[in-house]
Amino acid sequence: MSGFTISRRKMLAGSAMLLASTAMPISGWAQTPKKGGRLVLAADSEPRNLNPAIVASNGVFFISSKIVETLAEASFDGKDGLAPRLAVSWEGAPDGLSATFKLRDGVKWHDGKPFTSADVAFSALHIWKPLQNLGRTVFKDLAAVDTPDDLTAVFKFAKPTPFQLIRNALPALSSVVPKHIYEVGKIEDNPANNAPIGTGPFKFDEYKPGQYYRLTKNTDYWGKDEPYLDEIIYQVLPDRTSAASALEAGEIQLAAFSAVPLADLDRISKVPGLKVITKGYEGLTYQLVVEINHRRKELADLKVRQAIAHAIDKDFVVKTVFLGYAATATGPVPKNDPQFYTANVPTYPFDVAKANALLDEAGYKKGADGKRFSLKLLPAPYFNETKQFGDYLRQALAAIGIDAQLVNNDSAAHIKAVYTDHAFDLAVGPPVFRGDPAISTTILMQSGIPDGVPFSNQGGYKNDALDALITKASETLDTSARTDLYKEFQKEVAADLPLINVAEWSFISVARDTVGNIANNPRWAVSNWADTYLES
Amino acid sequence: MSGRTEGGTRARRFCSSSRAADAPMTRALALLRRRLVGSVFVLLIVVIGTFLLLEAAPGDAVDAYIVSTGGDAGMIELLRHRWGLDQSELARLANYLWALLHLDLGQSVTFSRPIRDVILERLPNTLLLMVSATALSFGLGSALGIYAGARPGSLRDRFLSIGSLALYAVPGFWLGLALIIVFAVGLRWLPIGGIETLASDKTGLDRAADIGIHLVLPVSALGFIYLALYLRMMRAGMAEVWRQDFVLAVRARGLSRRRIVLAHVARNALLPLVTMLGLQSAQMLGGSVVIESVFSVPGLGRLAQEAVASRDTPLLLGIILVSAVLVIAINLLVDIAYAFLDPRVGASEAGA
Amino acid sequence: MIPLRRFLHTPEAIAGAILLTALFAMALSASLLFPGDPQAIAGPALLPPFQDWSLPLGTDRLGRDVLAELFHGARTSLAVGLAAAAAALAVGAVVGTLAGFAGGLVDEMLMRTTDAFQTVPSFLLALAFVSVVGPSLGVVVIAIALGTWTGPARVARAEVLSIRERDYVASARAVGMHPLEIAFREVLPNALPPVLAMSSVIVAAAILTEAALSFLGLGDPNRVTWGGMISEGRAVLRTAPFLSIVPGIALVLTVLGIYLAGEGIVETTAVRRGLS
Repeated sequence: MSGFTISRRKMLAGSAMLLASTAMPISGWAQTPKKGGRLVLAADSEPRNLNPAIVASNGVFFISSKIVETLAEASFDGKDGLAPRLAVSWEGAPDGLSATFKLRDGVKWHDGKPFTSADVAFSALHIWKPLQNLGRTVFKDLAAVDTPDDLTAVFKFAKPTPFQLIRNALPALSSVVPKHIYEVGKIEDNPANNAPIGTGPFKFDEYKPGQYYRLTKNTDYWGKDEPYLDEIIYQVLPDRTSAASALEAGEIQLAAFSAVPLADLDRISKVPGLKVITKGYEGLTYQLVVEINHRRKELADLKVRQAIAHAIDKDFVVKTVFLGYAATATGPVPKNDPQFYTANVPTYPFDVAKANALLDEAGYKKGADGKRFSLKLLPAPYFNETKQFGDYLRQALAAIGIDAQLVNNDSAAHIKAVYTDHAFDLAVGPPVFRGDPAISTTILMQSGIPDGVPFSNQGGYKNDALDALITKASETLDTSARTDLYKEFQKEVAADLPLINVAEWSFISVARDTVGNIANNPRWAVSNWADTYLES
Repeated sequence: MSGRTEGGTRARRFCSSSRAADAPMTRALALLRRRLVGSVFVLLIVVIGTFLLLEAAPGDAVDAYIVSTGGDAGMIELLRHRWGLDQSELARLANYLWALLHLDLGQSVTFSRPIRDVILERLPNTLLLMVSATALSFGLGSALGIYAGARPGSLRDRFLSIGSLALYAVPGFWLGLALIIVFAVGLRWLPIGGIETLASDKTGLDRAADIGIHLVLPVSALGFIYLALYLRMMRAGMAEVWRQDFVLAVRARGLSRRRIVLAHVARNALLPLVTMLGLQSAQMLGGSVVIESVFSVPGLGRLAQEAVASRDTPLLLGIILVSAVLVIAINLLVDIAYAFLDPRVGASEAGA
Repeated sequence: MIPLRRFLHTPEAIAGAILLTALFAMALSASLLFPGDPQAIAGPALLPPFQDWSLPLGTDRLGRDVLAELFHGARTSLAVGLAAAAAALAVGAVVGTLAGFAGGLVDEMLMRTTDAFQTVPSFLLALAFVSVVGPSLGVVVIAIALGTWTGPARVARAEVLSIRERDYVASARAVGMHPLEIAFREVLPNALPPVLAMSSVIVAAAILTEAALSFLGLGDPNRVTWGGMISEGRAVLRTAPFLSIVPGIALVLTVLGIYLAGEGIVETTAVRRGLS
């Protein structure tokens, strides 16, 4: 348990930076874990496809990361921020054309068959690369996976691929599924997609749509004495207020992913027997950005974009919309990223007078009614906070004479309007930073992306210098040179404002005091919970 | 919810329209034949209308899906192809109708399972909720209505009538949230939601009791709202019956007031309420959308809401079709029952 | 016009009249008392009521003045209710008149369509429609009307059926008036009173439906509505319950007022018609 204690301390230090105001830290972490018990927790959505190798998303991981494991998991104190899982070591070749993984010995699939390098090769080549939402980008140059023995997998790339990128992608993108289950028939139609079979500490037991998912203990798990819990039940609670009520009524013991609204945290932290935990999501940072349609002639003008950036009171947003559970942003890489973040970028302090002056300078004078021009503003509906920020932004823009009309779409309509039809002027989006800018961040500014690709640059922005920088970084193998290029990238984005980064936030968990070993890694909610336990 | 207009108006239609004065059996059969033929057209309009509405929606099932996953252009094309969304609208409608002819509701896009199975899983929960809520609002509503209507204009009449109306004016979700906070979180007497204790492996009577306990709050939230409907209809009906000649006649015979109220006045005023039962069925289903969401009941209403959000056209079509068949069947039953029950066949009713 | 005194013959009708008067007063005075955008940020967020007399009912999640929102919300709620009822009554009356007057195939087709609309739960229809077209006030009004026009249509048709055989219709036919002209100039006006009697119920239902749609996140974000206020307040239901309770009470009183007043009017008219 000593290793765990260290990680805890480091974790506290590391996250204080992101979240200035934190609620109660965890109690009872020094106790010896108890065996047994059923953990009941809230789930607000029901992913239909539970195969994390195909769908690498937090909603799927939340459930299936306990069943299907990845090669490595994120860690507070491990080398390069990683802890071994199915792989025990990894190394990239200097030429960027291969990467070697040594695999864990004595691991069995839930159906009793042994786990080997053939499973890794199959998952990488037949699922991650062709089918996985994120893997299709990261593993696009993967040509072959050699398996010299049962415990070695060598990834061969057709083009040099930075190992830093592969490494950073491991926690989210490298879920390994059994070859013997998936090699027959179409992978997308495999029944195991709905009832996954993996190597993890828990086995999939049953799913009652609209009610619950049940996972049970894998008695053959490779981790010594693990898992501690006998059962995990995900109770489906679609209404946003029900998780808090269910916690208070004692019907569930844990609500992760901010299932308890931020505004309720202060009150609930005072309820005896409940604790609010702001840690354990450091690797899942969401960014609040204003997406800009550069096809609008006003918005194509840098001065107007700067004016909008100056009109947004980021501190107010953090304080009021996020109630302090967020940090202000400076650029496209979040402040809590240990590898790439730089503070050395142009900033836009809140200054309404300056914003007005910039707009005057740009030639958009106020009309008789005090308005300069009108815009269509589309806040993404996926989070309460994006919608609330939309309400705020409308007021902030009114203060500088820009009349914004809010458009309230449901998720499907929002995706279509922004990313396919480009029927927006400004949009509020929550892109995710996934540990490396190349995974899902540079795509937000890069030009030449086909219409319809969600969470990408669909605002018609084109900056040749930035495009060149992005391409160069993606081909640079040396870690420190690559990191420097991404620092330059941040500077250029903050200067030219293809979009405006406003804030960064992560999720909050609320749990009963009896739940132990919570939040002990940066992706805790989507990790395997082998060491999570219940005191009574 | 919006359902609150429908019943009243259609019930009025039934009261004001005159009925043919032939024998109940013949009437019932004629009704059945006419209704069945009509129903086919009604269902066809419902299916095509719903299909066109969803097709006009911005964003399809793939757009809804990639919200939580993201993905590149190739993946999106792959998904559209797999889910058959790259076919033309006409082709898909034709395929759907063709399958429907074979009583096949098709495959759900988001569940990747047969829609029949998905719906059958949820239908019992919604039926249970609706039947219980209807029983509550009808039973308690008509009983209180009789109590109030026995002395029209009295204090208790006024109090009950306004009190129930106030409940009728409360938004369903508001009542639901209030019930949860008081009885589930505050007093901890009842569970906050769901249809039964999760993964409890209960069977038989234990399970029935468990489900019963879980239904108390959602049924109350749904049932109390519609209570006013039956209470006020009963009251109004009784007021009308009081004025009729035969009541004057029985009053002249010197029967006790209680006897008159129960045996004559209430009995005659009950009939329109039976009609209302059928008419309300469609609206209860609408009201259950919100109630099921507030109380996390895995029912059809919530499923429909999810189907709209995920643009699962065939699933929504299936739900609407099933609920339409249900509503048509209930109304048919009610009308047939009415044909047998109505003691005032013919001209006397037209004046009502 | 109905004599006011006869209308006010019951305490219920008086209560209804008072509530409605207050509602209209709020709606009409909103821009006078609270000029400017009611959604503007006016103070610190989540200020409880009765703390600061410049913001008597406190502020919401973003620091907007709840009292100003309440007054402006009265206006939107009333507008939604009246517009939806007007649309439903207009469509219903036209469809009902056409069906009743034309008879035959036209009647059959129109009535089967009416059946179809009545078979689908109207709230589900409204939900799907707003999701599809996108929530704005106009769309919400249409969505509500879509689910409520069938009642007026049936009542109008029944009335028309009884009117169309009357003497003045026959004489209009005899002088060679166009059938449509007869339908809409001679028959419809006479079929209207019972249809209009339904308006209070529809207005009330429309206000409740708008609230329920907002609850599910399908409201117009550019306008203050009580439903939208409740829906926003829901996230802080436990910490700042006043944010849901204040507009909730306003909603209940409004709907109650409309029902009561509507009933009073219907009863008064019924009495008058009975006397005439």
